Amino acid sequence: MNSARAQAGLVATLLAGILLSAPAAAQSGGKVPQGALLPKDSVDAATFRGGLVFANYCVTCHGINADGNGRAARLYNPKPANLRMSDKNDTYLGLIVRKGGAALARSEFMPSWEAELTNEQISDLVAYLRSINATKL
Amino acid sequence: MTPFKKSARVAIALPCIGLLIVGAAWAAQEHVVAQKNKSFAVKKLTVKVGDTVKFVNEDSFAHNVFSLSAAKSFDLGSFGNGGSKSVTFDKAGKIEVECAVHPDMRMDIEVTP
Repeated sequence: MNSARAQAGLVATLLAGILLSAPAAAQSGGKVPQGALLPKDSVDAATFRGGLVFANYCVTCHGINADGNGRAARLYNPKPANLRMSDKNDTYLGLIVRKGGAALARSEFMPSWEAELTNEQISDLVAYLRSINATKL
Repeated sequence: MTPFKKSARVAIALPCIGLLIVGAAWAAQEHVVAQKNKSFAVKKLTVKVGDTVKFVNEDSFAHNVFSLSAAKSFDLGSFGNGGSKSVTFDKAGKIEVECAVHPDMRMDIEVTP
């Protein structure tokens, strides 16, 4: 049970390493001002932050690979959505995160997150889900 | 069947039924656990097989209660302020209870025979 959380932490660390190493490499070429990381408003920064949100709140059901195979997935029928193969647009994803599954006639077990996550966190989470989506909508 | 025999049967049956009801009520208890300040009010709880635990949300936002433990796997879903959900434990064992919305919310329930 704790291994999933450990895995989530590992993925978050790896994500941080990958994203932070790019500016560092550029910095070594002298083209990026010292101390500059990802611009806060960039898609990459939002994706990174969204990955952290996902690792903390969503992996229990959707799994660290976002394929719907989290450790709690066995409790549900239908099982949690495979977010890598989702055909839903960003507006829908943001809405179901905010309002929960029941509000959109989906699983009642998908909670409403609007009281827990900020608008920025939800927006970041959607950016992360878009980045891992294999359907390239 | 004579009227006497019938009334005698009733006289015997009624106390027996009463004893059964009282016995069942005494045997199975309801434990109440509040959810407040993003935590369960108690971290450990010992109950007996057949007991029910009622989770009451005293926070202003929604909570969830679920467990993946071998002795009892369940998800009570999400419920808001003032809402409550109950689960009855029908098997002995250790139950780790979590909230899907707040990953740091956990408590343990030990179900004894």
